Amino acid sequence: MKKLISLLLVMLLVFTMAACQPATKQPTTPAQGSSNDAGTGGSQQKTGLPVLSPDNPVTISVWTTTNHSAPASDNKLTKLLKERLGVTINYEIIPTDNADQKIGVMLAGGEYPDLIGTTDLNIRFITGGALIPLDDYLTEDKADLLFEHVRPYWNRLATDAGDGVRRIYVLPNYNRYYGEITGGTHYGASGFWIQKHVLEDAGYPNIDNITLEEYFQLIENYVKKYPTIDGMPTIGFELLCSPGREWVLTNPPQYLAGAPNNGGVIVDENNVATIFADKDIAKRYYKILNQMHAKGLIDPESFTQTNDQYLAKLATGRVLGMYDQRWAFGQANDALVAEGKDERTWVSTMPVYEGKTPYYADREVMNINQGYGVSVSCKQPDVVISFLNTMMTEEWQKIFNWGIEGEDYFVDANGRYYRTPEQREEQKDLVWRSKNRLEALYDNMPKRQGTYSDGNADGPGNQPEEFYDTLREYDKNFLKAYGKKTWRDFLNQPPENPVYYPCWNINLVDGSEAQMANRQLTDLSIQYLPKIIMADPGEFETLWAQYVSEIKKINVKAYEDAINEGIQERIKNWGGGR
Amino acid sequence: MATKPLAGQKKHKSTWSTIVAQYELILMSVPLLLYKILFSYVPVVGWTMAFQNYKPAIRSFWKQEWVGFDNFVKLFTGINGERFLRDVRNTLGQSFLTLLLGYIGSISLALLLNEVRNIKFKRIVQNITYMPHFLSWIIVAGLVSTMLAVPTSGGIINDVLIRLGLIDNSIMFLADPKYFWWIVAFSNLWKEMGWNTIIYLAAITAIDPTLYEASVIDGANRYQKMWHITLPGIKPTIMVLLIMNVGHILEAGFEIQYFLGNGLVVESSEIIDIFVLRYGIQMGNYSLATVAGMFKTVISIILISVANFISGRLGEEKLI
Repeated sequence: MKKLISLLLVMLLVFTMAACQPATKQPTTPAQGSSNDAGTGGSQQKTGLPVLSPDNPVTISVWTTTNHSAPASDNKLTKLLKERLGVTINYEIIPTDNADQKIGVMLAGGEYPDLIGTTDLNIRFITGGALIPLDDYLTEDKADLLFEHVRPYWNRLATDAGDGVRRIYVLPNYNRYYGEITGGTHYGASGFWIQKHVLEDAGYPNIDNITLEEYFQLIENYVKKYPTIDGMPTIGFELLCSPGREWVLTNPPQYLAGAPNNGGVIVDENNVATIFADKDIAKRYYKILNQMHAKGLIDPESFTQTNDQYLAKLATGRVLGMYDQRWAFGQANDALVAEGKDERTWVSTMPVYEGKTPYYADREVMNINQGYGVSVSCKQPDVVISFLNTMMTEEWQKIFNWGIEGEDYFVDANGRYYRTPEQREEQKDLVWRSKNRLEALYDNMPKRQGTYSDGNADGPGNQPEEFYDTLREYDKNFLKAYGKKTWRDFLNQPPENPVYYPCWNINLVDGSEAQMANRQLTDLSIQYLPKIIMADPGEFETLWAQYVSEIKKINVKAYEDAINEGIQERIKNWGGGR
Repeated sequence: MATKPLAGQKKHKSTWSTIVAQYELILMSVPLLLYKILFSYVPVVGWTMAFQNYKPAIRSFWKQEWVGFDNFVKLFTGINGERFLRDVRNTLGQSFLTLLLGYIGSISLALLLNEVRNIKFKRIVQNITYMPHFLSWIIVAGLVSTMLAVPTSGGIINDVLIRLGLIDNSIMFLADPKYFWWIVAFSNLWKEMGWNTIIYLAAITAIDPTLYEASVIDGANRYQKMWHITLPGIKPTIMVLLIMNVGHILEAGFEIQYFLGNGLVVESSEIIDIFVLRYGIQMGNYSLATVAGMFKTVISIILISVANFISGRLGEEKLI
């Protein structure tokens, strides 16, 4: 018996060793400058990267977090990529609210697709050792266009992966501008949105210096007058606190206090950040929400719904107001426009407490650690980089944004791009878009925003004349009534951003005290704030006091210290390019 | 063992000769044994993560920073400790309710179906009740959330209650912590009742029909037959299933709590697995997740041993 047991033990040991050995042999740091050993992608062009051609078909696997759905199988641009470059893309598309755990699982597994694109959390890939540094490719004679893309912002983009050296791992996806910034819609804009019909019905009141009380008054009047919309009960104000979108609930107090979006903190003039969740500016906001809930203006299902249910509800057109950022409810807006219910879409208002100036809109901030990075599992990084570099040419950028000349847009005698009314209507059809555009792939790609060398805007939405012509009659009249030209005009004129701005993308290290405190603060807010808002107004004070005392138990200082450290680090390192 | 050396030698010899005699059988069991070792025992090496500050960028287990019991302290004390213990309570509560309702539901359904004489009707009922088993939990969660919503969002339960005059305003089932355990238990009942019935119905067919005949001669009615013959007949099956389920009591499901849980009900909805996901995997805190996983395993082993022991003491089936 003993023999048998010892035999088993030996076997167990052997297996344990066998199972662990490959793990220890894996490289701990990715190979750098692997362009020499991986030149399998075809002949070398003068940029020093392999040329993509249909004779050398390659398949690139892409993992990306995006709100756009995967392209249809017979997508026009998918075919074009295959025909012209021999590139086939395999998609793995992750909705934003699932990104957190997907990343956790992928990091634990250590196997990645070729390209990894996220909107918010690439830092975890960087510190987790999933991405290769791109410094060796980002040079004049290799990926020239990508180099041009990051060159002026090199220090800002370079990140320390934990080895003390700052390198570039991720190519920024949004807000790197070329030429002049034009555009009718500011997708990053925050606001207390209000349905256009509410304003029309109230006789287009002045909304420039609106207070929160006036905002809710407009909504209340409308609900009284129209208790139902299309046969369904009218919803006055919608809230949301589903995973990843908790900020809909927690962000507004800072705007009301005249501060820009720094996430969970307000930064004072000495560049010192403190949390505001337990301060009076927050209390005042939630007290108003509590009163509005008592009046029945707030959707009682606000706190139990998922992001999808929220968007579906907005898309019915019976929601009069909500706090959100423009990009986050884009789908609902598109759906309403597609149905021709333009009067049920929203414009932003910017209520503030007395004596404060609205700072809802900021200067477009270039995204840090958002966008695509090349993974350590990628076998031919130079091919993938060559692909990204090719996509940065004006030719391809136009294909992604405008489409194919003659099919999706025309060029007039002055060289200006325009679309016919039929082409504009096509663009509003979500099914058509899945067959003719590659939004899921393009969302996280580096982009030429601003204007092309020929003076046309990056996309139709930003071409001033095209923006106006695309609008339906209702929107044209609406803008005329307010004497404005674009939706952007409804926002404040943003001052120059502080150097460190914005604090919400300061990295909190995985497993640190600060990260834990941040999570605990968020969890506390989604547990208490809904309760506080839905409580009987008489119980507000007690519940608020409870909430504040719970916050006191958390190690808030660790969180604030980490943010302040980040601010100082940025002030020190962020100047200059290469 | 206090046996004499001679006897020991003898025993040893006989063990060896049994092995030789049965070597073909032993050889046949080797692949399965290896399979078990590879997938159930080798991964236990990963428990070392519980004593490390594990960083995925360093791929080897042995090059990590060792931190002793730090992760245990982090998990079981302070704010996290309160949260974790609350989650343990939720897990146990939800599991227990699910188990209880599940047992009562499926055993009574099995007993009733057994009494149905119209075979066609019996088949139809059986089919209807076990169909939901094949739905994925994500679909069930969607159905449950719609059914429990307010009437304008398709909340059929509130609609019915209001029309019956039982309540005046819709109840926000998913916004009140006191309902959550029951929602989990009833969703499980709805989904699995019919399926679990199958095993009891099979056990019932094994009961000797002469027992029923004898009881009829003694003048037993239907209820007495159920109580005195059918139920005792399937008691061993019930016990074995109970022991097996006790081992799983810390697994209260995952999907339904994940999809229906929200800030308002978090105090009764969050279970251990969701804690592990939110505070472990999502935050890249793999060590903390490992500690929680170890805790679950250890408690499960203790529970199953206790249940097994008690069952044996009561003179019933033992699993191990």
